[in-house]
Amino acid sequence: MARNLVPFLVLLFWISICQAASIFQPISDSHRYAALELFRPTDGVFGSLEETYEVLRTFDILGIQEKPDINAATCKSVSEVLGSSAALKDLFYALNVNGVLKCEIKEEIYESITSRLRTVLNDARSLSEFYYSIGSLLLLKEQSSGVDLSLMDADGIFQSIKALSQSDGRWRYSSNNPESSTYAAGLALEALAGVVSLASSDIDQNMIGTVKNDILKLFDSIEKYDDGALYFEEKVVDAYEHHGPLATTSSVVRGLTAFTAVTSGSLNLPGDTIFGLAKFFLGIGVPGDAKDLFNQIDSLACLDTNRVSIPLILSLPATVLSLTKEDQLKVRVNTVLGSVAPRLTVKIVRAFLSGSKDTSVIEGEELKFDTQTSLHILEAFPKTFDVGNYVFVFEIILHDSEQMDIYATGGRIRVPIYVSGVVKIENAEIAVLDSDLGSIETQKKLDLVGESVVSLSANHLQKLRLLFQLATPQGHGFKPHQAFLKLRHESGVEHIFVVEGSGKQFEIILDFLGLVEKFFYLSGRYDIQLTVGDAVMENSFIRAIGHIDLDLPEAPEKAPRPPLQPVDPYTRYGPKAEISHIFRAPEKRPPKELSLTFLGLTFLPFLGFLIGLLRLGVNLKNFPTSTVPATFAFLFHLSIAAVILLYMFFWLKLDLFTTLKALGILGVFLVFVGHRTLSHLASTSAKLKSA
Amino acid sequence: MARSTSKDAQALFQSLRSAYTATPTTLKIIDLYVIYAVFTALIQVAYMAIVGSFPFNSFLSGVLSCIGTAVLAVCLRIQVNKENKEFKDLAPERAFADFVLCNLVLHLVIINFLG
Amino acid sequence: MSKSLVVFTLITLLPFLCYAFSPENPTDRKVLVLLDDFAIKSSHSLFFKSLQSRGFHFDFKLADDPKIALQRYGRYFYDALILFAPTIERFGGSVDSAAILDFVDSGHDLILAADSNASELIREIATECGVDFDEDPAAVVIDHTSYTVSETEGDHTLIASDDLIKSDVIVGSQKIEAPVLFQGIGHTLNPANTLVLKALSASPSAYSANPKSKLSSPPQLTGSAISLVSVIQARNSARILISGSLSLFSNRFFKSGVQKAGSPTKYDKSGNEQFSVELSKWVFHERGHLKAVNVKHHKVGETDEPAMYRINDELEYLVEIYEWSGKAWEPYVADDVQVQFYMMSPYVLKTLSTNNKGLYHTAFKVPDVYGVFQFKVEYQKLGYTTLSLSKQIPVRPFRHNEYERFIPTAYPYYGSAFSMMAGFFIFTIVHLYNK
Repeated sequence: MARNLVPFLVLLFWISICQAASIFQPISDSHRYAALELFRPTDGVFGSLEETYEVLRTFDILGIQEKPDINAATCKSVSEVLGSSAALKDLFYALNVNGVLKCEIKEEIYESITSRLRTVLNDARSLSEFYYSIGSLLLLKEQSSGVDLSLMDADGIFQSIKALSQSDGRWRYSSNNPESSTYAAGLALEALAGVVSLASSDIDQNMIGTVKNDILKLFDSIEKYDDGALYFEEKVVDAYEHHGPLATTSSVVRGLTAFTAVTSGSLNLPGDTIFGLAKFFLGIGVPGDAKDLFNQIDSLACLDTNRVSIPLILSLPATVLSLTKEDQLKVRVNTVLGSVAPRLTVKIVRAFLSGSKDTSVIEGEELKFDTQTSLHILEAFPKTFDVGNYVFVFEIILHDSEQMDIYATGGRIRVPIYVSGVVKIENAEIAVLDSDLGSIETQKKLDLVGESVVSLSANHLQKLRLLFQLATPQGHGFKPHQAFLKLRHESGVEHIFVVEGSGKQFEIILDFLGLVEKFFYLSGRYDIQLTVGDAVMENSFIRAIGHIDLDLPEAPEKAPRPPLQPVDPYTRYGPKAEISHIFRAPEKRPPKELSLTFLGLTFLPFLGFLIGLLRLGVNLKNFPTSTVPATFAFLFHLSIAAVILLYMFFWLKLDLFTTLKALGILGVFLVFVGHRTLSHLASTSAKLKSA
Repeated sequence: MARSTSKDAQALFQSLRSAYTATPTTLKIIDLYVIYAVFTALIQVAYMAIVGSFPFNSFLSGVLSCIGTAVLAVCLRIQVNKENKEFKDLAPERAFADFVLCNLVLHLVIINFLG
Repeated sequence: MSKSLVVFTLITLLPFLCYAFSPENPTDRKVLVLLDDFAIKSSHSLFFKSLQSRGFHFDFKLADDPKIALQRYGRYFYDALILFAPTIERFGGSVDSAAILDFVDSGHDLILAADSNASELIREIATECGVDFDEDPAAVVIDHTSYTVSETEGDHTLIASDDLIKSDVIVGSQKIEAPVLFQGIGHTLNPANTLVLKALSASPSAYSANPKSKLSSPPQLTGSAISLVSVIQARNSARILISGSLSLFSNRFFKSGVQKAGSPTKYDKSGNEQFSVELSKWVFHERGHLKAVNVKHHKVGETDEPAMYRINDELEYLVEIYEWSGKAWEPYVADDVQVQFYMMSPYVLKTLSTNNKGLYHTAFKVPDVYGVFQFKVEYQKLGYTTLSLSKQIPVRPFRHNEYERFIPTAYPYYGSAFSMMAGFFIFTIVHLYNK
């Protein structure tokens, strides 16, 4: 059900963005959409009875027909609460909900509640007891028919509530609690209003007068925003229950409107007060919190029907008008809830350019009312109407002068309006001039509409001149807010200059001789960029005009360095190039055949040795003949061979330690055997010598 | 003049040759051994000159084994030569025993360094 | 009865204790929101709701509330701070700009929003974080070619920007089609600062000036150098988001349509909501937060980690990298994680390959230079936390018995040695027994 409303709303109303600072938009469908968004039932109920009441009241005020169906479950809980002896607060909200849903409640229940409430009222001491009981009785008056609800001791109750008030207009919650709060003041005023309406006989007018004075004192403490919105704020943050400005102001508004509705005579509030309060509530826009939305809508509904003055809101659907599209100035006047205003005319008192307050462009013009769209339209602007920032001063004139007391029109309303149009730019040219003589070296026409670029060159003794003309649609001169000439060096260093102008002509001359130091002595190619823009210029542009090759002198030693340019973050990170270690090239080895050849060659001298020995005719005649010496000699040579074989194994496989161990053993043996052999040989040769 | 020098060289050569044949066989054996060792070393040096000194430890090991054993043989020759007045009292067997032990130690070192 | 109640309370408290911020569980849970007006809680409710739906617990306080405190005796009460109080002149309680900077320095995140009436205090905090707002207090960002077409905003201060940072990890993988609405002040980044990034930049025709007064001298901030929203990733992985516009996060901007000047396309919904939500995911570590664990290395063929390598060894290096997804550590998949074998300069730099389950590995040969090396992983990617791992390992040269033996080149030398030994043997026999 709710879903059907949504696409409709999206289609029609989802283009507007926000309200201007001094323009307040009345309640619109964006609030209705938000209400549907925020108030969503869970399991057929909206949570507590207080929340249910807030939802139902909001939907009621906003006129939303597509409510989620919660009647059954809610009525059930309502009748449960009303039947049992629940807390006073629950009773109050249950009756509130019942007032909207109109559930079927038996008369006996009403009677029992009424008697209970009367007892409570008689013994009531704290403000909340008064508030809830009186409020419940007031609701019962509307809902039940048979029960007698008039209060006997209205004066006494009035006095007891009044007794809790403070001198500055605020109220205490109870006589025990010394803290006073503005929120409590609102509750108290509502309770007092209830007492007055329930009283069987009239309340003493003096007492009502003192309460009115209290209200005036309360309104002395009102706060003000710059745009004229008025609100109340709790001073003490740590109070009994902290309420923000919205909740506090809503409470006061409810109390004020309730009290003025039941009392006669006027309240001497300053004229703009109601208007200021309306501005506060409208200035919130669309709240994102359910309770805030309820407070806003409920307060505005109270203001819409209050007896002091009903505010009429003047709003403009568009404050930016385009001369090229021939937009018309449209004004809408509604009540705060967006409903139709009484018959009235909107008049432009004066309209002037925001810079020159004295000269008015439009004076005393009335807007025509279009009955189909309910908008007040200015048929046509004057012929000489030009682009610019205007301030329009509007005034609402009611047709029926009697209604001037009922409605508050807000006096003179100033609205800033932007009238935009296409600004003609022409006669643009760029030139390089020789410094002292002023003669033109190169001059080129610029086409600022097209895409062409120019290419220039200059040195530090020359000047660069750029000029162009700007004209409004009416042909007057135009001074845009933004007219920049930017020179950007290849390394990224940028320099910006403001192009000054008078009337229609805009000109800038860059004398490079004076700018050499500012440019950090950087020679090279500079890209030229021209940006012209203004809030009312529909064709604001940024154009790359071309480039200029500048030749500047060398930087002296002490010259300032150009500023660091930012590193592009995308190239700053990223994987680095892979590195693999280049190993030391292994030695170049000769072919195996060469090594083998030389291996063979190495054995040649050995063979030569053997052959030589044979040639010399060696013999083994000296070998011992007898057995023992022969054995020893044999063993001697054998052990030498063994050692050599051990060395061979050492080379092939063994390590030094094993070899040394084996060598030790063999060595001992060798020495022993060798000694025997050699001493034998020595004795033999000595014998021979002596013989 | 040249002819006289070549004639002198020839005469010198002849006298050297005849003197050498007078040496005992033992010494000749030792001489032959030394020449054999030196030739082996020369071949290794020539090889190194061609291919470079890549396994330098092996090269040193090979060359030193030849040179070392040659040196030891020369020492043995000096000590065993009967005409050498200095070593008259030293028994040739003793010299030989030294020679053998030194050679064995030399070869141990060589094999360790050979790689 | 009371005993079971106590137990029950403890059990219900346990999840909160478990979800407290810790390096193992980097998502922030408790966030302090400082406002200068409680109306902001209502007008920015969509933003806060989106965060709350992801499991964050908010503490909304007025910025000058005298009871606010970030920490006591070194223990921090909150995991992150959102400062939506652009006009605050002085904080209440024990909070001041030094306390906020300490908060960030200890690794916690910050979202700061300024606006066109930003106070000195907020500008100062932003400067300490690394961005410089325009010094002129009345200046706002104006753009006459990239503004939002609007019937009610005529001074071109409401701009539509689509110059977003090109990083899927910061702004999400789904492209933000509609431009982002912005209304507020601009700032620039110091070019020497490598930690700051422009998340949303202004167009080249933008400038920062007071719209109500004429310009006599060129403005300080112009063009694309103006950053509208910046993000900072500190070296301790704290993330900061600084925005020049508080209304960028407001319900009004979230819900409104947008049409950029000069473009015919009209979008029904601006890109603000997607942009803010995605950025908040990045700021609160739900994306782009990496951890590297289990660094292992070993020789090819073995499994133990040796205390020392030898030159020319083949080795394998393994590391596991995970990314925090907001709820759990997911394996991180990328193809640009590199490891360096480093001693004064990288000798080997290799890209690690992944098995897509978070394990990264590579194999290479140890260089033939000996010394004390380090396995260094320095991973820096735009938007991700920096991974900086280093493990020292010595590399030794060959032992005396590890060299090559029996080289063919040396055959002649082997031959000569053995021939000498043979010759010696023959000689001993001949010498003794010759007559």
